[in-house]
Amino acid sequence: MKVEIFHTPGCPACVAAHAELRTAAQEAVQDLEWREVNVVDNLDHAVDLGVLTLPSIVIDGELVFTSMPTVTQLREALIARNKGRA
Amino acid sequence: MFTIGKLASLTSVSNDTLRYYEQEGLVRPAGKSPAGYRLYDKDSARRIHFIKHAQQCGFTLAEIRELLVLRGRDKACCGDVRTRAIEKKLQIGNKIRAMKAMSKALDQLIADCANETQPVKECTIMAALERASVSTPVR
Repeated sequence: MKVEIFHTPGCPACVAAHAELRTAAQEAVQDLEWREVNVVDNLDHAVDLGVLTLPSIVIDGELVFTSMPTVTQLREALIARNKGRA
Repeated sequence: MFTIGKLASLTSVSNDTLRYYEQEGLVRPAGKSPAGYRLYDKDSARRIHFIKHAQQCGFTLAEIRELLVLRGRDKACCGDVRTRAIEKKLQIGNKIRAMKAMSKALDQLIADCANETQPVKECTIMAALERASVSTPVR
């Protein structure tokens, strides 16, 4: 499962939050591909996926979170999606 | 201190626009003259210039209000403003995509209408637009 988190670099609080989310995602899904995408360098890709606000999280090409989710929210979204694939 | 007319000429904005900005909470008079007229100071002029520049970059008045709030907030940092600027760029990118799609759709309609001398009732552009309205559900 591919998770892309679109963000702007330079926010220490965001870096810490990303690390927490990544750990939770790794625990929730086995075949995880985690990408931290700097929007400034990947604007076209962000527009392709419909990203309008930051941070946003795209799971397998689908825009799922348009603001920073809690660890629980992300974990639940990943588990539900994983079940849907099974 | 300036009257509204003086502020309007200093900032090249109409009196009505200034009143609207005031109504929207973007500027407020610094005081009133003995006759009861609104008076503005240099900070009001700076705010008007700020609003105009932000509008030129595509920010709406609601977004500009947020930027002005950030400007006055001690804990806000440049990163907060930068994020808003990047989000605005994302919105503009999205609009450009939509406009390009519209332009492409028009290209198709224009190409399909080869005979300009046909009566309007037989115009293929009109017919295509009619079909589009039929296939679009009415809400």
